[in-house]
Amino acid sequence: MIEIKNLNAYYDDFHVLKDISMTIEQGQVVVMLGPNGHGKSTFLKSICGLVRKTSGLIKYNGQSITGMGAEKLVNMGITYIAENRELFPEMTVLENLKLGAYSKNARAHSRQNLERVFSLFPRLRERTSQLASTMSGGEARMLAIARGLMSNAKFLAIDEPSLGLQPNLRDEVARIIKEINRQGITVLVVEQNIPQITELAHKLYVLEEGRITFEGSKEQALGNDHLKEIFLGM
Amino acid sequence: MIVEIIDVIISGMINGSVYALMAVGLTLIYGVSKAFNFAYGSFYSMGGYLAWLILSAAFINSYLVVFILAVPMLLILGFLIEKMLVAPLRKRDDWEIKVMMITLGLALFLDNSYQVVFGARMKSLPSILEGSYSVGEFIISYQDIVIFILSIGGILILRWFLNSTRTGMSVRAVAQNPAGAQIVGIPKEFVFSATFAISTVMVGVGGILLAQKYFVTPTGGWDILVKSWVITAFGGMGSIRGSLYAAFILGMLEAFVGWYYGMNWVLIALFAVLLATLAIRPQGLMGKWG
Repeated sequence: MIEIKNLNAYYDDFHVLKDISMTIEQGQVVVMLGPNGHGKSTFLKSICGLVRKTSGLIKYNGQSITGMGAEKLVNMGITYIAENRELFPEMTVLENLKLGAYSKNARAHSRQNLERVFSLFPRLRERTSQLASTMSGGEARMLAIARGLMSNAKFLAIDEPSLGLQPNLRDEVARIIKEINRQGITVLVVEQNIPQITELAHKLYVLEEGRITFEGSKEQALGNDHLKEIFLGM
Repeated sequence: MIVEIIDVIISGMINGSVYALMAVGLTLIYGVSKAFNFAYGSFYSMGGYLAWLILSAAFINSYLVVFILAVPMLLILGFLIEKMLVAPLRKRDDWEIKVMMITLGLALFLDNSYQVVFGARMKSLPSILEGSYSVGEFIISYQDIVIFILSIGGILILRWFLNSTRTGMSVRAVAQNPAGAQIVGIPKEFVFSATFAISTVMVGVGGILLAQKYFVTPTGGWDILVKSWVITAFGGMGSIRGSLYAAFILGMLEAFVGWYYGMNWVLIALFAVLLATLAIRPQGLMGKWG
């Protein structure tokens, strides 16, 4: 579904991503681990058209999407969910969700997506008229994921969804990612050391200093002493 | 005395309503782009001159035709100016400062063009509606009533646009969180241009309304730029509600100071109030600075 070859990304003169290649099959959950500040967010943003300076090749369903901006990509079904949520603070929950369905493709399905989002996050249904700025951290995180789902995405890039959440909410996030994936959405998640999330992975990657240093299945990761110690904490 | 004071209050309300229309436009464009538009006052004059041109055509003498023609013209003009002059700057660093420079240049260019094309002498526009309404000693002209209704109507249309249309919501989205707007796929460049165009219409319509009372001159826009800026700063840059309150407060202040001390004192009083407010409350009335 997504094929990446020799992706490089830069912020100004800073070379963040170095020759990254990756293949993501339809229906998979792919988890990327790695220390903070080594380029994981930049990687997700590069795929989703949110980084200006990139080089290399990115293909989506066989078609090159290299260099396309988010306006086009969101409409094609590629959506980024930010670690710092990036909600619209002075809008209600419902307005945030409506804007999640901004693209043409999303608008056509907005009613059924809204129902789907409300069944995934029943709490949001009760709070449609609450301002986003008045929500707790956990609720805002759920709203960010819900807004991403409103885009009718086929591919979701989720940036550290459990960052700053209590353990019981992490279980909730894992459950939701599992459910989203069960509904047919391919998911690429960037995470720290969250066993509940790694558990879901069909494939694991580790990104260190802008390069991929490990690629393989959960089982292979467990057999790798370096990873076991540093990232899986087992 | 009582009649005089009521007159002053009404005059403050009428001017306040037009100021509100114009200041809300300025606050909107600042809220979205975080860059200041120095040519804003020149678009005010443009509205006045457009109305004068349209009304000078022998076969037109209706303000309805003026609005039907001038509003789309201002909209297209604002859009093109943003696309051609402002948008290319946004690709650079510290573009906010460069935008101020280029809009300042545009203001001087436009004002000098008005001088060449229309001459230095002031133009006057006919009243939008003749006649007046009187109760005893007290008289209010139909013109003032129509100006008030049109200004408030303009603000209500903007409110509807921002809250209920897709484009309007995307304007608010960019103002509240540009990164979030980009993530959901909103075309930011289009929103910038559209907002600039809408604010051009708002100040241009303000020009059409006020030119009936105060004439059109090549450099008349500077007074409006200063007043709109005082109102937006006083209300809290980027806060629409703040601008609304501020416009009526300052419109009223202007009317009373002008009546009691003379028009020379008006700008001094406005700035004194602005400075005092910002000293106590640096974020302005409704606080959005920064």
